[in-house]
Amino acid sequence: MRLNPAVARGAFRNVWVVAEVLSGHIQPVTHELVGAARALADVRGSEVWAIVLGSGVAGQTGGLIACGCDAVIVVDDPAFAAFNDEAAARTLVQLIDKYRPESVLCGATTCGRALIPRVAVLADCGLTADCTGLAIDPDNGDLLQTRPAFGGNIMATIRCSNHRPQLATVRPRVMKALDADPRRTGRVIREPLTPDPSDALKRVIEVFHSTETAVNLGDASFIISGGRGLKGPEGFNLLRQLASRVGGAVGASRAAVDAGWIPYAHQVGQTGQTVQSKVYMACAISGQIQHLVGMQSCDLIIALDKNPDTPMMQIADIAIVGDLFEILPELIRQIPAT
Amino acid sequence: MRIVVCIKQVPATNDASIDPETKRIVREGVKAILNPFDTYAVEEGVLLRERFGGEVVVLSMGPPKAEAVLREAVSQGADRAILLSHRAFGGSDTWATSYALACAIRKLGGADLVICGKQAVDGDTAQVGPGIAAHLGWPQATHVMQVRSATPETLVAVRMHEDGYDVCELTLPAVITVVKDINSPRVPTLRGRLASQKMEIPVWTPEMIGADTAKIGLDGSPTRVVKTEPPPPRNKASRRITGSPDVCAAELLHELRTRSLV
Amino acid sequence: MKKHIANHIYHVEILPPKQDSEKLDADLQAFAEKYQRVLDSGYCICLTDNAMGHLSFQGTEMIQELGLSVKPDQVMIHLNTFHTKANLDDILQACIGQGIRDLLVVTGDGSDRLPKLEPADIGASGVESVTSVELLRYIGQTYPGAFNLGVAFNPYEPEDHEFAKLDRKIAAGAMFVITQPVIARNAVVDKLLATCPLPVALEAWMSKKLHLLSQAVGYEIPESTVFDPIETLRLLHRTYPQCGMYLSLLGFKTQYHLITDTWVS
Repeated sequence: MRLNPAVARGAFRNVWVVAEVLSGHIQPVTHELVGAARALADVRGSEVWAIVLGSGVAGQTGGLIACGCDAVIVVDDPAFAAFNDEAAARTLVQLIDKYRPESVLCGATTCGRALIPRVAVLADCGLTADCTGLAIDPDNGDLLQTRPAFGGNIMATIRCSNHRPQLATVRPRVMKALDADPRRTGRVIREPLTPDPSDALKRVIEVFHSTETAVNLGDASFIISGGRGLKGPEGFNLLRQLASRVGGAVGASRAAVDAGWIPYAHQVGQTGQTVQSKVYMACAISGQIQHLVGMQSCDLIIALDKNPDTPMMQIADIAIVGDLFEILPELIRQIPAT
Repeated sequence: MRIVVCIKQVPATNDASIDPETKRIVREGVKAILNPFDTYAVEEGVLLRERFGGEVVVLSMGPPKAEAVLREAVSQGADRAILLSHRAFGGSDTWATSYALACAIRKLGGADLVICGKQAVDGDTAQVGPGIAAHLGWPQATHVMQVRSATPETLVAVRMHEDGYDVCELTLPAVITVVKDINSPRVPTLRGRLASQKMEIPVWTPEMIGADTAKIGLDGSPTRVVKTEPPPPRNKASRRITGSPDVCAAELLHELRTRSLV
Repeated sequence: MKKHIANHIYHVEILPPKQDSEKLDADLQAFAEKYQRVLDSGYCICLTDNAMGHLSFQGTEMIQELGLSVKPDQVMIHLNTFHTKANLDDILQACIGQGIRDLLVVTGDGSDRLPKLEPADIGASGVESVTSVELLRYIGQTYPGAFNLGVAFNPYEPEDHEFAKLDRKIAAGAMFVITQPVIARNAVVDKLLATCPLPVALEAWMSKKLHLLSQAVGYEIPESTVFDPIETLRLLHRTYPQCGMYLSLLGFKTQYHLITDTWVS
């Protein structure tokens, strides 16, 4: 809400993390955000709270406390068995109204990006999407939210000085979770879901989660990615062969996806997935910023390109100058099939 | 069925840099285009109108030149277009933008369905669609990859998630945002393009849509950009491998084995 | 194509205006003038299909909406795999209606705005995506005898790969070949001419923009290179007298009058 003489800045306290719950399980991004929230709360001498909206989730609060939460609010209700934007947003707004957090963090997942903008409007507060950096002004608690803009060509820092709470979404695998400490203690607060007539306006009638359909770039430790230089969909067959030899996954640049050579699910970059694999091998990807922001925190970056001067070849740990159509078959030949 | 499709004009490329003197963002001479995701929103609106009759109204907020993307949407099959344009709208963040668009939809007399693209490629926030739904108090479905079925009163949408999908039934009116998988937008014909150039596009001001001026523009926006800077460089001493394909492959494998990565 | 080569009929590429043109009326007029000039010269007009993935108007609708005439053997349409099935058939039907027989069938360049034919759309099986091979087969089977089907050949791609692809294209119904830009004698082109049973036209690069040519041929041509397109065209005629010539990026103001006597036997 907008701050005014009746609604004082000081009335808002603590950093909240809205848990990402999928099929009844709290997702790793939640722990990453708790890690980020812990650092912010420590600057302010305040607490980290996690908000868990789910069905059958009451038993999972311990892990959150061990990872750095001081308190966990649980709304355990069958209405949250599937992702229900409207009821979740309404409930969050009620909780915000009641407990008045200073900042609220949420994963920039498909659910988070649907839910939090709704909360921002209903609670009349500012929201910054896809933050890659979070800091806090120790004096007034303003969140300094850094996010890539213009396809990552510019980093913008955003403040919401006149509204509380301050909302931010953060991509999975951008922040680091703290090591779990089972000795940590914290409070668990149970809150009910308040039914509303508008609940009848939307029903989730089917849910399909699968590890099969997902191109699990997020969990892959070795990613081989291709760009425009693959020249066509056939080029990706080479990448698939290599991936199967090293137990890796296949990624792609936006150019290759836009060209229709490989489905969107493989796209790495600002408008695709953010990855953090042990090895990222970019084959004929020039390395536009929009791509780099999605993979630059990988441990070892290998670039393969005919052109030695592309941005990707500059940032790579290992840069191979040559024709991928000659080198990849050779590489596949030299790695024994398992 | 009245379908309102909200669209945005965006720069064709994201090439931008910061002037070291003025610290302002430089983006000279960059061509403006219809936000790519919005093309799919327009197509979905046109497909639904072809099934149920009614009209597709395209709505955009922006400077006067943004009418170009409205004309493009008309050449793609929309029936009419409205531009929200006034100095007072300038500097709006996603909160204020979704408020203004919601006001315009009310002024239109409401809608059965509002369709937005998943996100605009310049801001990449994906916040305006859900924001409009919240301002109107309507249900929403984001990242919609398929409209599985629809009637004049309901719509069954398949939402894309990271590891699968879910299906939800919405009672209209509602807001959906769409991803590229949802359809293959038709390419405008020359005939449609020529016709769209002649269309009158009304320009609406804050007053005309009954917007509270405290909730639009910079003043109505909770967020403020306080600093812009180039992304941190990632310059490292890198190892270069050149030579014949078999040598390159062998050296790379050696590097990977040394690190126990294969 | 054989008739074109025998009668010294150049293929002159013209790009239809882009969809996002900010001066469409002027572009339409310029297009109509170029089209008419090539037609009047007796050459063959070659109309691209969303060249380089840039969303552009289709050749067939340009002819239709601008009321341009079509003479047999004087209009060739490029057709790539970035269409919806309905749109593809519309274009093919329009060609038949307008009397256009020559098609250059290519995989083409996509963009995020262009739909891509799916194998199931055109009854292709056992492939992950549609290439010119599947498209050729579809056109041949659906419109038997209606078209002369041409295909592209890139002498700068790995050779074995490219010849194998050409064999697949020929098996799928290709009847003539047009190469990527050739600027001098080229060993791969020599091999093509020695082995390929189909008539071949070489693309002659008529622009002085070397960086674009570098992109087209896939290797870096130093900017300092002295490149005279008209002289190069003469050289190609001398070197490859058995080939047709496909002129890309021809300057209508500066070059057109110079090509009238370049093709002498």
